[in-house]
Amino acid sequence: MPVKISPSVDGKEAVIAVIGRFDFNIHEEFRQALDKAKAGGFTRYTLDFGAVDDMDSAALGMLLLLRDSLGGDKANIRVIRCRRELREMLEMANFQSLFQIT
Amino acid sequence: MNPLSPKVLVVDDDLTNRMILSSIVEQLGCSVVLATDGVEAVRLFESEAPDLVLMDVIMPNMDGYEATRRIKNTEHGRFTPVIVVTGLQDPEEIQRGIAAGADDFLHKPFNPIVIQSKMRAMLRIRELNDTVRTQNQELQVFRQQRIQEEAVAEKIFDSIVHFGASDVPNVRSHIAPSTVFNGDLLLMAFRSTGELHVLVGDFTGHGLSAAIGAVPVSDMFCTMTSNGFSIGDIAAALNDRLKRMLPPNIFFAACLISVDAIEKRMTVWNGGLPDVLVARPDNTIRARTKSHHVPIGIHSSTDFKRETETIDLVEGDLIYACTDGLIDSPIAAGGRFGSVGYEACFDAELLPMRPFDCVLETIREISGDGPRDDTTLIEIQVTKALARAGADPNDAKALRIPSPWSMSFDFNRATLKNFDPIPFLLRGLVEVQGLARHKERLYTVLSELFNNALDHGVLGLDSRLKSSATGFSEYLAERARRLANGGEGYVRIWFKHVPSGEGGRLRIRVEDSGPGFDFRSSGNGSASEGALNGRGIPLLRSLCDSIEYRGRGNEVEAVLEWE
Repeated sequence: MPVKISPSVDGKEAVIAVIGRFDFNIHEEFRQALDKAKAGGFTRYTLDFGAVDDMDSAALGMLLLLRDSLGGDKANIRVIRCRRELREMLEMANFQSLFQIT
Repeated sequence: MNPLSPKVLVVDDDLTNRMILSSIVEQLGCSVVLATDGVEAVRLFESEAPDLVLMDVIMPNMDGYEATRRIKNTEHGRFTPVIVVTGLQDPEEIQRGIAAGADDFLHKPFNPIVIQSKMRAMLRIRELNDTVRTQNQELQVFRQQRIQEEAVAEKIFDSIVHFGASDVPNVRSHIAPSTVFNGDLLLMAFRSTGELHVLVGDFTGHGLSAAIGAVPVSDMFCTMTSNGFSIGDIAAALNDRLKRMLPPNIFFAACLISVDAIEKRMTVWNGGLPDVLVARPDNTIRARTKSHHVPIGIHSSTDFKRETETIDLVEGDLIYACTDGLIDSPIAAGGRFGSVGYEACFDAELLPMRPFDCVLETIREISGDGPRDDTTLIEIQVTKALARAGADPNDAKALRIPSPWSMSFDFNRATLKNFDPIPFLLRGLVEVQGLARHKERLYTVLSELFNNALDHGVLGLDSRLKSSATGFSEYLAERARRLANGGEGYVRIWFKHVPSGEGGRLRIRVEDSGPGFDFRSSGNGSASEGALNGRGIPLLRSLCDSIEYRGRGNEVEAVLEWE
């Protein structure tokens, strides 16, 4: 599965990990993971980029979809373990103003 | 599996065997259908659609092997296990049964526990098969939708995507060929005060959403520029419009540049594109403007930031902007061109070669097969000629007029099978200045024209069918049938929009692959008059400023004007 979702230790945070290429081909799975996470009643969301090899602009679109479905500006989403190349891509789109990128 | 209880078809010519097997099957909570020979088994398999078959081998009329073969041929992709019931441990019977397509075997005398276990196992496999099949179908549908999304926006003409790019002196651009709209946009227009406005942008995704988003962007950029708005204002207006119009995952990474060649100043709003670079005449980088903003179409209007950055220029400076497709160009040997590769082209050693030529040449070399379809690069040289072009209304007249644009879409029959393009097209068109007020009218005209082309042209339906008593429902049923059957054919829709004063004029041309009809002959009560009525032409005439049939009657052009 290219999209894995697991709860944090305290159970309040959903950790969504994408494995391999983060692009349009996993759009459907990402959307399903999102639906599952929303049903889980989490209050915080974290995207784990540690296993992402590469991504394209469709991935940015999916991040926006996640943000939008969690309340837009009110959404609290962290992006963790982000490699330099991926971070550069996110920063070119100034996504650090929409997500907490660490 | 059947959501109620599995249905089992028991086939045996012997009454006692049928009774024993029935009771064993019923103990499992299954319902039973009985057949006494192979012929009846095949018939009941079709009509009852059982979940599992227990098949005796030696029977009159048609034996179990033949019946199994026929049943397996009519499965229609759904797996239905057939268990052959053979005589006592006869290997040859088992072999023949499996060869005929059976999935498992049982032998007499019957052992209820063995039979029930085998049935459970087989039903489990059937359930698994069903799940896989459903998932496969879902996948197919999804794949189909994606192909459609990408196939639909087949053509979009230069006038909307690359408006003005070739008409400005000292500006060079490389744009991907536009036979298929790839999401990249390059627009230019002069402000009345003489500044050159340039927009370089890249929609996420290739499909129709991106193509249709290009319509209002082009329209607004050119109109607002000629009306004297600043690039910050234009960016904010584009953001409002696209935020409303696009789904949340589609956005427009764009950079707006205003070049004042007289005052030697450049102002940039950059949301999501690579750095805008300013090179000295010796190719070295003098200044850069990073992406300081989130791309267009993401923020609400209250959060949108219209701040721009201003850079002083010197005569002879070269301004460069590109889309990230260029930076991401793959290298045949692995990896990407990258901003490092891009900026390596800004080198005094390369003179007299300009970075523009160096970048394109390098990409051509390293990629093996030339630039990808989504690479856009522009070079603007700050010169007196550019300043004159902006100052002289005659020189750059074309660039001052709010943009006329045209575009066309090809929809093939396979796409139209389960895709209605009208809502998509309408969504883009109403974003054009002034057209929103005519949405209803536009919708009616567009769907009449389109449905005529599809129904009568591509599908060859006769409109007279609709006039009989039960005609309309028959007509719809026939339409659905013909659509489902597939085949060749297309509908091409072409739009041309020319603004005039406060209003505008929209021409819609619809062409289909059909044989057309005789629109020239008239006369009351004639067949062609009937055909005209059937095609809703009186309605179209009342809504359009003109409507004209062409060719062999497979082309029609409607004109809508508004103040």
